Amino acid sequence: MSDQYISRRAPSMTNPVVLDNLKTLFNPHTVAVIGASDNPGKLGSHVMKSLTSGGFKGTIVPVNPGARSVTSLPAFSSLEDFPGEIDLAIVVLPAKLVPGIFQECSRKGVKGIVLISAGFREIDDSQGAALQNTLADLANKAGTPVIGPNTFGMVNLHADLNASFTPEFSWLPKGGIAIVSQSGGISHLMGFMAMRQNAGISKIVGLGNRLNVGFAEMVTYLMGDPDTRVVALYLEGLDEPRALMEATRQTRFAKPIVAYKTGSSRTGDQASLSHTGSLAGRHEIYEGALKQSGALYVDSAERLLDTARALALCPLPEGRKVAILSGQAGPAMAASDICEAEGMEIASFHPETQRWIDELLPPLALRTNPVDMGPAWYNASAIEGIIAAVMEDRGVDAILLLMMFASANRAAISGFSEILLKWKQQKPVVACLIAPPGIWDEEVRRLEKGRALINIPTPERAAKALALLWEYKKMKRRNNGMLE
Amino acid sequence: MGNRSVIVEKARREGRKTLSEYESKDFLKSYDIPVTREILVRTREECKKATQAIGYPLVLKGCSPHLAHKTEKGLVRVDIRSEQEAVLAFDDLTSRMEGNEKDILVQEMIKGTRELVAGMTRDPQFGPCVMFGLGGIFTEILKDIAFRVAPLEIRDALEMTQEIKAHKILGAVRGMPAADMELLCDILVKMGEIGMENEFIQEIDINPLILSGAKPVAVDALIVLKVPV
Repeated sequence: MSDQYISRRAPSMTNPVVLDNLKTLFNPHTVAVIGASDNPGKLGSHVMKSLTSGGFKGTIVPVNPGARSVTSLPAFSSLEDFPGEIDLAIVVLPAKLVPGIFQECSRKGVKGIVLISAGFREIDDSQGAALQNTLADLANKAGTPVIGPNTFGMVNLHADLNASFTPEFSWLPKGGIAIVSQSGGISHLMGFMAMRQNAGISKIVGLGNRLNVGFAEMVTYLMGDPDTRVVALYLEGLDEPRALMEATRQTRFAKPIVAYKTGSSRTGDQASLSHTGSLAGRHEIYEGALKQSGALYVDSAERLLDTARALALCPLPEGRKVAILSGQAGPAMAASDICEAEGMEIASFHPETQRWIDELLPPLALRTNPVDMGPAWYNASAIEGIIAAVMEDRGVDAILLLMMFASANRAAISGFSEILLKWKQQKPVVACLIAPPGIWDEEVRRLEKGRALINIPTPERAAKALALLWEYKKMKRRNNGMLE
Repeated sequence: MGNRSVIVEKARREGRKTLSEYESKDFLKSYDIPVTREILVRTREECKKATQAIGYPLVLKGCSPHLAHKTEKGLVRVDIRSEQEAVLAFDDLTSRMEGNEKDILVQEMIKGTRELVAGMTRDPQFGPCVMFGLGGIFTEILKDIAFRVAPLEIRDALEMTQEIKAHKILGAVRGMPAADMELLCDILVKMGEIGMENEFIQEIDINPLILSGAKPVAVDALIVLKVPV
């Protein structure tokens, strides 16, 4: 009875050929750049730079009828001139030339295409949409998945593949977060924020106008992608939202999905209409639908990244009780406010835990939860002792560890590193350890790498990330039929 | 089931875009959604008889498919406690109504201060969607609402009820019993079912859905039909 609302768009993910081809698209041996160039005024030159400087280990095939070589690699005048097989073609040519290129790709047996070119459904001229439909027919007939058009491209860090026009994306650390976005701008924002926070990324995919690879196809693919632990989605509007719901429902909770959607304002809706050429549905319905299909719903780009990082690197809390251990009182108060507003509870310590803390801290500061560890700045072993006591407390489900640098507490972090590294987050540890650039960076990196904690730039954001971990845990429980 | 299609067919034959309150509730009742007990009357004599059947206190409302915003038009009389009051109200309401169809609804008065809203709307992309939220005059002012896409599972319905900011009014507050969550969720699931099974229904509003003690009851309802293309 609901069939009419379920996507019939080809190629469907039930078609194993397309799914296989998507695998090859992200893990190619040979990549052709159609429109490769040495002229920095052309996108083709930036794409070449992304591939070469990104350390891609496979074969790069520049295609340009007017050049003998590009970036000191031998160039070919057409795809068919290259003697070997091509797995992935990146296309950076004017829109009107693309249908011919698609036919060539099909003849050559290209497995997947990243279509960077713009000038399709997103433009005012209706010929753009017509051209996109022509391409969709060609690609679907050949069973070729296409990322784009109107995109910066995509990056698969684990394959050292930067198939985008932004070479700097290759600076990203490898990790478990896949970012799938409808906006190039938000993708770049997320990528650069991830660099600054040292967040490990598996893939960044700019879906652009979504010729035949949309959110539904990406979610299905990423659920089976061994490099991806968490999927972060940025959406503006969907052509067939039920298809995404079906995809997330089918794989419900196999991996966490976090979603951020813009377009709640009228101007937002207009922007999404003209920007990526999709009809933005009503924001409230999107919110309901995303939650319904098991995605965590967030309301900003920074929250999207914070939450994805927390889900990738922390275990889920078993309950709502938080211990807040802070080097200063103010950040602890800020975190407490968020915890309480977000349905977390500031834990009451077990008498044994409290006795330990009272022994380790002079009666100068807050010794109950939240704990102000300020008086223990000079005494790394006291801080270590407090953390150890709280770890053991069964009434604590998660730890917020906050410390702002002061010259006098510089060594505190190395004092508690070992115990945290050994403990490896038997309960989630969300931290906000903040110092001037360069001072604690290495220690924090080591702690994150050792899965001892994740570090988030403000106490409020740290508290919110923890609250969202708890939210996800509750969603999972409800999914298993446990209703509170 | 037969009754359902009769109600809607009649409205469509008459080229109407909406069902009257009485017809809307009759339709909802066929899906086991609890509605107020009510009788449609046209004459004073019918009105008197109906008051005996419903019992006091009761409510009289002007009822017509062409009537929206009954309260603003002064077409609702509440807390009627005697036959005399009922007849007076009947005369007054009929005098305010235009045209020949002067149907009056004699309705039990639901006592309850917790007003909710349940709705269904057919989105061009998502298809039928179910809404739940704070009802009465607060619906538009606070917009404290949650949506889910049909069909709904019980879990979805439960999540919606917990998602609104005012979700605590569903609990045991100020001496009032906690809402019958099983029934409330069932109503939301049914709203989705109606949307899935009846292509020709564009929108449904149950507002207010009042908690009578623990039990949610549809006190006013409106069904909007799809305009035939």
